[in-house]
Amino acid sequence: MNICTKCGATPVIISRKASGQMLCKECFIQSITDKVMKGIRRNKLIEKGDKVAVALSGGKDSVIVLDILNSLYKRNVIDLIAIIIDEGIEGYREHGIQIAVKNAQRMGIKHRVASIKDYFGKTLDEIMADDRREHGACTYCGVFRRWIINKIAREEGATKIATGHNLDDETQAILMNYLEGNIDNLTRIGAKSEPKSDKFTVKIKPLREIPEKEVGLYAVASELDVHFDECPYSQESFRGEVGRFIKELSVNHPTIMYSTLKGFDKIKPALKKEFAEKKVGIGTCIKCGEPASHEMCRACLFSKKIHQKE
Amino acid sequence: MTITVIIDKEKHALEIHENMNIKEVLDKMDISSQTVVVKRNNEVVIEEEILEDGDIIEVIRVIYGG
Ligand SMILES: [Zn+2]
Ligand SMILES: [Zn+2]
Repeated sequence: MNICTKCGATPVIISRKASGQMLCKECFIQSITDKVMKGIRRNKLIEKGDKVAVALSGGKDSVIVLDILNSLYKRNVIDLIAIIIDEGIEGYREHGIQIAVKNAQRMGIKHRVASIKDYFGKTLDEIMADDRREHGACTYCGVFRRWIINKIAREEGATKIATGHNLDDETQAILMNYLEGNIDNLTRIGAKSEPKSDKFTVKIKPLREIPEKEVGLYAVASELDVHFDECPYSQESFRGEVGRFIKELSVNHPTIMYSTLKGFDKIKPALKKEFAEKKVGIGTCIKCGEPASHEMCRACLFSKKIHQKE
Repeated sequence: MTITVIIDKEKHALEIHENMNIKEVLDKMDISSQTVVVKRNNEVVIEEEILEDGDIIEVIRVIYGG
């Protein structure tokens, strides 16, 4: 029988091919928490006194971010709030929201639920039902969700916004942007955002070095109540193809995602120096007052289009 | 020998050879072991774990689009 390479206990719940490590449940959960905390310190993601707003979907990634940051909250190192967005996806989102709210309540963390419909007048379903729409669901969802989260974070006085991006998400983004030659996007990938405007709160990714599979294992092993369902709008995309490709490579090359991330972080300063778009003075949206590089921000532009009559 | 597989809230009986491990059973079902966590008789197990007759396997999809 396999025994935990750290404490000798049985049974083991993970065999890390990259390191030869086998861990029991307790040692595995501890190893993830330690790794996240180490990353937070190394990248200076959070400082004492920060108020962190967690963008909480109820999915495994964001619930685990909340779970791990909760230990800092309980020790009074930081203040925490959860922002839960209702995109308006019937038969899917209600359950995720319920789970998100339950998790925040269980941890005694203040939460706010905000819907795309309240802010922009239509649910994602209603937007998608219109044949004249110009974009896919993920584009509308992303633009509106980011706008709302940023606004609420500011209202709540949050100094950081934490998202659930994991190692798979991050390597996917690196590879995808590289393959598409999207160098400007590449220069913006990192553990911590560098906002162009004071009105944008700094975004951090505490799970950036944790493989998605281990995030899932953490959720199951620690019996967290999370939503594992698939969004009905997730469709075949280039991102998905790239994701599958790296996951497949990982089977025989278990360190490939780490090396992709580490290598990228090394060349990023050079990339930024050479290729980052010069900071053009960012203006203010004439409609909503949020930061915008054009007359209107993207959310207001989209909002105008989705309400246009024939 | 026969095991029970629970996946997507449905139960199936599955005929398997002796000494098959979790990974091989997942391959047989065309499921990538990269995207799931597997419980055997209610405990999380690694993919090298050998199955026994009558085992109840729960396959939890933790990753989509993978
Ligand atoms: Zn152990
Ligand atoms: Zn605007």
